[in-house]
Amino acid sequence: MPAAQLVSASIERIINHLLKLDSDSKAALAKLKGKRLTVKLREFPWPLTFVFSDKVDVLVNESFDNQSQKEQANISLQDTASANQDCRIELSFSALQTIQDSSQITGLIQRNELKLDGDLSVAQGFGDLIKNIDIDWEEQLSKYTGDVIAHSVFNAGKQAARKINKHTKALLTILSEGAIEEKNIAAHKLLVEDFCSDVNQLRSATERLEARLTLLEKQRLKTT
Amino acid sequence: MSDTQASSAETNQAESDDQTHFGFKQVDKNQKASMVADVFHSVAAKYDVMNDLMSMGIHRIWKRFTIDCSGVRAGHKVLDLAGGTGDLAAKFSRIVGESGKVVLADINNAMLTVGRDKLRDMGIVNNIDYVQANAEALPFPDNTFDLITIAFGLRNVTDKDKALASMYRVLKPGGRLLVLEFSKPESEMLSKVYDLYSFHLLPKMGKLVANDSESYQYLAESIRMHPDQETLKGMMDAVGFEQTTYHNLTGGIVALHRGFKF
Ligand SMILES: C[S@@+](CC[C@H](N)C(=O)[O-])C[C@H]1O[C@@H](n2cnc3c(N)ncnc32)[C@H](O)[C@@H]1O
Repeated sequence: MPAAQLVSASIERIINHLLKLDSDSKAALAKLKGKRLTVKLREFPWPLTFVFSDKVDVLVNESFDNQSQKEQANISLQDTASANQDCRIELSFSALQTIQDSSQITGLIQRNELKLDGDLSVAQGFGDLIKNIDIDWEEQLSKYTGDVIAHSVFNAGKQAARKINKHTKALLTILSEGAIEEKNIAAHKLLVEDFCSDVNQLRSATERLEARLTLLEKQRLKTT
Repeated sequence: MSDTQASSAETNQAESDDQTHFGFKQVDKNQKASMVADVFHSVAAKYDVMNDLMSMGIHRIWKRFTIDCSGVRAGHKVLDLAGGTGDLAAKFSRIVGESGKVVLADINNAMLTVGRDKLRDMGIVNNIDYVQANAEALPFPDNTFDLITIAFGLRNVTDKDKALASMYRVLKPGGRLLVLEFSKPESEMLSKVYDLYSFHLLPKMGKLVANDSESYQYLAESIRMHPDQETLKGMMDAVGFEQTTYHNLTGGIVALHRGFKF
């Protein structure tokens, strides 16, 4: 059973579900239309590619059997034409930790723990998209559960969301205040890296919320 | 000696004269297409529901795997052959974007109509064409497509060699063919369980949901009669495909074959 596809299917569902709930995200998504972002976490068995259209498709860059290296080589040769449309990030979990300290970035790159190439604006755009998702969770929830329960569930979710937001804002501040000029490439990578970790956090927060929602929905069905 | 080998021997025998198989039945070669058409005509409306039900949703993962192996990029031209209700075509349409093109082709107009309506409802209109076509004689110029997919379609085609050759012709040099199809389970155990499922449960489900057990009986039989992994690989090699490989999914119940034209 192809586990990778199960994972990518779930990620895709969650992202698109979030985007659908937030009508303002359309504009941010439209900017990314036709582009793709590939994220390779070194400890994760498969790189994921996010393809942007009027929704987000998540592909697994997995290849047939053990031909993967050949395939990878093929891809990089073939795709030079569209490469300037795309953005690729490669990093490790340990880099995810260190990246929050911008003074570490240069070191990360020198130690080859972080790689970025292609069109940085794609990664930035994806970051914006995720960062700006603004969903009135409480309202969404109360549709299912009534106000009181919605409020308590909402609070739990809000804490997670607040954390992520703070994190992302700090990052954007660093960027906008000239970190880019000082450490040109490094800042790019920082941005991208942090967005990835944000996305991951957001994803797990969303998953938890979704699970709770389902539960509540079930309970509600039982009582009515 | 396995059942599949026995049945592919039968197949060869059948192909040698004017007869071919329709499920387990022998029919005239020129009848098969219209008999297949009847099957899909009668299942078209309920096709998607039945797909989910029959495969317990796993067909979505198989299709996802196919897309992940497609190497498709923005600007590519894709043919989703025997594309039916357009599951693959929908995703390809988003991946190839406005500069690309997807052709959804099927021999059966009822299936195409269901597909077109579904994709239109999803907002997919700009870069997709619908073409009623027989896989054996594709109505496209040579060297047209970067990718051809045929998912759960090849086993319904009367002359598979002819169809594969036709696909080879319309593929661009450097292009690839992906054939997703039922195949031969790797273990005897799985094979038995699977037979039980497809010959007993599946037609019953077909009856319950679509009120059409015969069509689903045909599906089960046609799955069993389809060439196994190595045979299909050989058939692809024979018409010119290169670097042909396959990947078993769900224990070989389904296999994805891939070949390139260089
Ligand atoms: C089981 S459906 C698969 C549909 C779709 N690809 C999917 O995976 O859901 C098989 C399709 O093959 C089509 N088909 C059968 N024989 C064909 C032929 N000779 N040429 C083109 N399509 C054919 C049928 O009309 C039907 O829509």
